[in-house]
Amino acid sequence: MEVPHGMLHCFVMESPKGRSGSERPLLSVVDDDESVRESLPDLLREFGFAARAFSSAEEFLSSGCVDETSCLILDIAMPGMTGPELHQELKRRGQEIPIIFITGQRDETIRARMLKQGAAGFLLKPFSDAALLAAIKTSLQAT
Amino acid sequence: MDLQEKDSAEDIKRLQRCVNDLISLLALPAIWSGNEPTQVVHMLLEALLRMLCLDFAYARLKDPVTMAPLEILRVADSCKLKTLSQDVRGMLSNWLKDEEDSSPPPMRNRFEEEDISIFPVPLGIHGEIGIIVVGSEREAFPSQTESLLLSVAANQVSIGLREAGLLSEQKRIATELDRRVAERTAELAATNQELRKEVVERKLAEERLRHEEQELKRSEVHKAAILDSSPDCVIAIDHEGRITEFNPSAEQTFGHRRSDVLGRHLADVIIPPSLREKHRKGFARYLATGDSKVLGRQLEMAALCDDGREIPVELTITRIPQDGPPAFTGHLRDITERKRSEDALRVAHAQIVRSEERWRSVFENSAVGVALTDLNGRFIATNPVYQKMLGYTEQELQSLTFLGITHEQDRDYNGMLIAELLAGERRQFQIEKQYRRKDGTSVWVRNNVSIVPGTERVPRFLMELSEDITQRKLSEEALAKARSELTNVARITSLGVLTASIAHEINQPLSGIITNASTCLRMLSADPPNVDGARETVRRTIRDGNRASDVITRLRTLYSKKEPSPESMDLNEATRELTALWLGELQRTGVMLRYELADDLPAVVGDRIQLQQVILNLLRNAADAMSTVDDRPREVLIRTERYEGNQVRLSVKDSGVGLTPQAAEKIFEAFYTTKTDGMGIGLSISRSIIEAHQGRLWATPNDGPGSTFSFAIPCILDESAEAETGINRADPAKDAA
Repeated sequence: MEVPHGMLHCFVMESPKGRSGSERPLLSVVDDDESVRESLPDLLREFGFAARAFSSAEEFLSSGCVDETSCLILDIAMPGMTGPELHQELKRRGQEIPIIFITGQRDETIRARMLKQGAAGFLLKPFSDAALLAAIKTSLQAT
Repeated sequence: MDLQEKDSAEDIKRLQRCVNDLISLLALPAIWSGNEPTQVVHMLLEALLRMLCLDFAYARLKDPVTMAPLEILRVADSCKLKTLSQDVRGMLSNWLKDEEDSSPPPMRNRFEEEDISIFPVPLGIHGEIGIIVVGSEREAFPSQTESLLLSVAANQVSIGLREAGLLSEQKRIATELDRRVAERTAELAATNQELRKEVVERKLAEERLRHEEQELKRSEVHKAAILDSSPDCVIAIDHEGRITEFNPSAEQTFGHRRSDVLGRHLADVIIPPSLREKHRKGFARYLATGDSKVLGRQLEMAALCDDGREIPVELTITRIPQDGPPAFTGHLRDITERKRSEDALRVAHAQIVRSEERWRSVFENSAVGVALTDLNGRFIATNPVYQKMLGYTEQELQSLTFLGITHEQDRDYNGMLIAELLAGERRQFQIEKQYRRKDGTSVWVRNNVSIVPGTERVPRFLMELSEDITQRKLSEEALAKARSELTNVARITSLGVLTASIAHEINQPLSGIITNASTCLRMLSADPPNVDGARETVRRTIRDGNRASDVITRLRTLYSKKEPSPESMDLNEATRELTALWLGELQRTGVMLRYELADDLPAVVGDRIQLQQVILNLLRNAADAMSTVDDRPREVLIRTERYEGNQVRLSVKDSGVGLTPQAAEKIFEAFYTTKTDGMGIGLSISRSIIEAHQGRLWATPNDGPGSTFSFAIPCILDESAEAETGINRADPAKDAA
């Protein structure tokens, strides 16, 4: 069900439960780790959202899904443009997408800095499905 | 008539009594003679009381000797006034006061119901001596006879008292005289005693003086005789170092005349100029502290003669035991002759010893073991060092061959070298090998073996110079062990740095596992259950689980402390394995890692962990070198390639701050670092590791920014040899085949 890499346009996956009619919010996942890209979208769909995964910040920016993304789930440490750098880039472009940072690095200073700079959430890998869902709900209500 | 007769008889009796009384009174002075005035008066008053039947008798007078007032009252035993004697005394005193100069008239007074007739009798012609007062109850007292008796008595007592006074005075004078005489006599006796003592003492003193003079004279003569005849030079000096004695031997030896040197400073006379300062200091120190290095010891030194020659002398200095400032005597002996003969003897002896003994001595005393053997290696002679090294006696060794006590693994090679020696292919050879000592322990030796050409009488023989290098070998091993310990320290140090990266590596698969498991649960709970989806998530869960397990395994391998274990390995694989762990950390610091790993890279033999340690060090250095770079990409290129035919090279190229050519060499020294937080041991250890792999590690500046660190180690070209090859036997020569 994955969208092949390099695809420049974006489309929303049908819910497996066939919740037709209303458009479900699109959640985008940007992480260089393949296992996250494989597993996280499935869970998000089980939550009832539409989901897309990208292996780098650059890929996300060029995907055409930026405008449609209701919430961005973003890894911090990535080769090339890092998560925080993408955050700044989106701000610079005037894109106010709520962002939930996810990271494997337990670093309280980064957490505090990210939240201060406007992050909607901050989750340490590994995180539970409940924690993720709560963070998503909070960020969607904020908009 | 009868009455008349009777009256006459009464008169006669009265007269007789009166005459008797007069005689008694006249006799009184004879009785009084020699008595004190007080006693005289007492006796008189007593006599009057009895003679005249008085009631009382009182006397007041001056003691003719002491002129002290004297007052005595006697009251008759029968007198009724007896108890009132004090009143009588008081009354009489008052009565007499008025009549100080002349005697008062007789009176009759009343004392306590009793009338008493009182009659005064002056003593002396005008009463100048005193007065006696007598009293009686009788109205007619005193009668004519009684008056007469009283006058005679007064007269007698005056005389008696005067005599008593005179006598007393005489006595006093006589006593005084006696006392004075005695006093003077005692004084004279004492003076006399004193004089006698003085005389004796003076005599003794004179005698002592005479004795001492004699002793002194005798001692002086004695001393002079000793001094004059002593073959030793005797020189005495006072506390200022001035010469006070200089005996004939000294005159003869040093060429000075006694009269010329007396009073001069010793230092200026016989001490050579070069030693004078030392002498003065030593002398001054002794005077100040009492501390001397020369006193009481036999010394040898140079002494100066009158003609300027310096001669060797034997010298003993003693302090003269006397009061006052210290003085010293020095006994000196010219030892020129003795010295000369000693030297001659030494030279002669040395000449004799030189030829043969020299060689014997070299052999015996050599710090190196020396063994002479026949051409079969049987010991002929060995020196003590050699015997001690092997624990055998010379006799025991003579029944052994040196190959026989050589370790098995060294024997063939050693035998081959001997064969070459005997064949004339070489004059000598060196070998490091192990001997088995008599007690079974091993000793590492470095031997230098040569063949000694024979003479007509002596056949050819082998000479083995053997040095015990066990200590060196042990310390080499210890060094290797220490180095490996140090490597481990560096690993652990890196471990701290890597902890963050490790957490990242573990958390990634864990995150996948939890997400997949959560998804799986939801899919299975759906109605209808999404079994295909669940199956897929379980597959991914297992995969991530394995991934986490791999990370753990790699870490355990990398950080377990192990002895170096050479194995055939692929450097590319080792590199990938390491960077998989390190990648997260590199990314965190914004470093891009690029690989250029050669596809056809031959295997190398080495310790995987150690080589990974080196690669890790190089990567860390590269990352550190770029930590301040902001104006260009932080990029690390890790490349592997064939190098110079038989080696493999791995290089790590950074775009960091770069190296100066001087630093390029220094950075490999232990504890040299250009970093503020480094220990400076990483590169040093890395170079040790690479050198242990027969390779080399070096650094070169890039054409552009940054520098490149490379190592090259030998590789295996012949696949079949791989299993046999060990790190220490890696022989570059094999590659030529």
